[in-house]
Amino acid sequence: MKKGSGDYKTTLEMKRSTIVFFGFAALVVAAIGCSDVKRTPGKVYMPDMAYSRAYETYSTNPVFADGRTSQEPVKGTVKRGDAYPVHIEMDKTGDTANYFASRILSNPIASLNAAELKETERIYLINCGICHGPKLDGNGPLWKDGDGPYPAKPATLVGDAKYESMPDGQMFYSLTYGKNLMGSYASQLTAKQRWEVITYIKIKQGKIKSAETPAATKDSTAAVVIAAK
Amino acid sequence: MKHKRKAFNHLLSAFVLMVSLSLTSLVQAQDGKALFNQKCASCHAIDKQLVGPALSGVEDRWDDKAMLYDWVRNSAAVIKKGYPRAVAVYNEYKRVQMAAFPELKNEDIDAILGYINTGGAKAAVAAAVPAGGSPADDSGESDSNLLYGILTLILAVIALILLQVNSNLRKMSDESEGEYVAEPIPFYRNKAYIAIFAILLFMGGGYLTFQGAQGLGRSQNYQPEQPIYYSHTVHAGINQINCLYCHGGAQESKHANIPSVNVCMNCHMGINEYAKGPKIYREDGTEVDGTAEIQKLYQFAGWDPNKKQYSGKGKPIEWIRIHNLPDHVYFNHSQHVTAGKQNCQTCHGEIQKMDEVYQFSNLSMGWCINCHRESKVQFTENKFYSIYEQFHEDLKNKKLDSITVEKIGGTECQKCHY
Repeated sequence: MKKGSGDYKTTLEMKRSTIVFFGFAALVVAAIGCSDVKRTPGKVYMPDMAYSRAYETYSTNPVFADGRTSQEPVKGTVKRGDAYPVHIEMDKTGDTANYFASRILSNPIASLNAAELKETERIYLINCGICHGPKLDGNGPLWKDGDGPYPAKPATLVGDAKYESMPDGQMFYSLTYGKNLMGSYASQLTAKQRWEVITYIKIKQGKIKSAETPAATKDSTAAVVIAAK
Repeated sequence: MKHKRKAFNHLLSAFVLMVSLSLTSLVQAQDGKALFNQKCASCHAIDKQLVGPALSGVEDRWDDKAMLYDWVRNSAAVIKKGYPRAVAVYNEYKRVQMAAFPELKNEDIDAILGYINTGGAKAAVAAAVPAGGSPADDSGESDSNLLYGILTLILAVIALILLQVNSNLRKMSDESEGEYVAEPIPFYRNKAYIAIFAILLFMGGGYLTFQGAQGLGRSQNYQPEQPIYYSHTVHAGINQINCLYCHGGAQESKHANIPSVNVCMNCHMGINEYAKGPKIYREDGTEVDGTAEIQKLYQFAGWDPNKKQYSGKGKPIEWIRIHNLPDHVYFNHSQHVTAGKQNCQTCHGEIQKMDEVYQFSNLSMGWCINCHRESKVQFTENKFYSIYEQFHEDLKNKKLDSITVEKIGGTECQKCHY
């Protein structure tokens, strides 16, 4: 009798331990097997503080007709410090009248000093160099001699007669409205920056000189030479 | 003997002729490629319509080859003459005048045509070669984790069995020696076991509770599925597009702006397929059809890739925001990027290696403060900090060797909470 009850107890005990064991094993497998990709942002203490009740830059907005909070600047306004706007509209498809009319626009940025040149070079490398190449040879990382993903050869800005002789105004038209496969850069560069980039290209083409001409350094070296004598 | 030599001579001359022929054609193809890239590639591709038509099979479309030569040299004149093919092409492509190339001779144009005939096939072969990168590379770590888990489990089972065997054997040996065997206490009533278990539970539970409570409201590693599978690896990594090309707002505003669709279209007017990069995968391991994702972009932009024009029926892409700070925290990108000269990667991790972007930093206050305590401000050649005259003086007199953000008030409450 006593032995019998003992047997019963051990089987019960074993059953329990197996259940506990397998339960634990299942937990471990579940913990390991679960994907660690977090597709939800998780919970927050106070949602009204974590998620703005006020309209934020990119939130939808019932106040404006187009339903967006971020609005374009009012037409006709000029940003402080920006170049004056140009009153040449974009050509309609198949028309090139305005593209040619833009030749008369004169570049308000006559030249760039060393600091401006450095800054404009930075702007050029970010926005233009990707296609037109850091050396302005039309061989940026997106073209890479035809191995890049871009299907068309970007314009060779230095060394191609067409672009060497292109008037600043026409370049400005292309930067503002786009030309052929190139899109408009008016949303990425201010009018002033666009003119500066054009001046930068003209400096690289050797058409104009940087404001702080190498003449100054030449003079100083000359002075050194004289002093040495 | 003489016959043999003659035959050999014939063979040799034929061989030389063949080699020289193939060499000249090779050279011609090379010239053709160079000329094509120089003169044509801005507007034409071999098997893809760009500004102008795809040039593959162009010779078949022009019955009169002399007219084709004239067309390349001066297309306007050929249109004026009223040659039907010329007028048709001109009208089909929105009356965009093809640039004139008077400098190209007939041989040059032949070289270009030769390259078009051979180059198209080459391009197709190049595109068909699959590039490296497989899902195994990415999931290697989780695989080994699973392996370790299973290994641990097996070892635990073995240990348990051995313990059982050990106790049974002891019990048997005790019984055979006639010793009194106490009724074994089941492990769940063993006080030592219970104590250890309680301590472990307390420590583990406490740790998890603490972590969970601290993590509430921080969405580190948050990686939502975006409306378009946009891979930063492909754009910022492989194609080396600068972060500021799309997120230029980071330099001059509070926000690192989400680019508007026209910025995407700057490149994707031309790039309408994903063919040259490595294969890309979602986090769950399924392969991404890059070309289909670009098609989604066209839907949002309202761009008709066949007609190459906008339909005007675009709609904004509703990207899902990943990084979110509560309203009571002020954070300004330009302050950190332009004045502080920080790299994007400092806070966002190696974005250029992320296919699907996730939140790299936890964006907790402790994390901000730590960085403000450690980071040195670039004081020289930085107009933004000219107001701190005393520090400039101290730096000059070598009283201080560097200024941390904390020194200029970077840990004051009001800097970020107001």
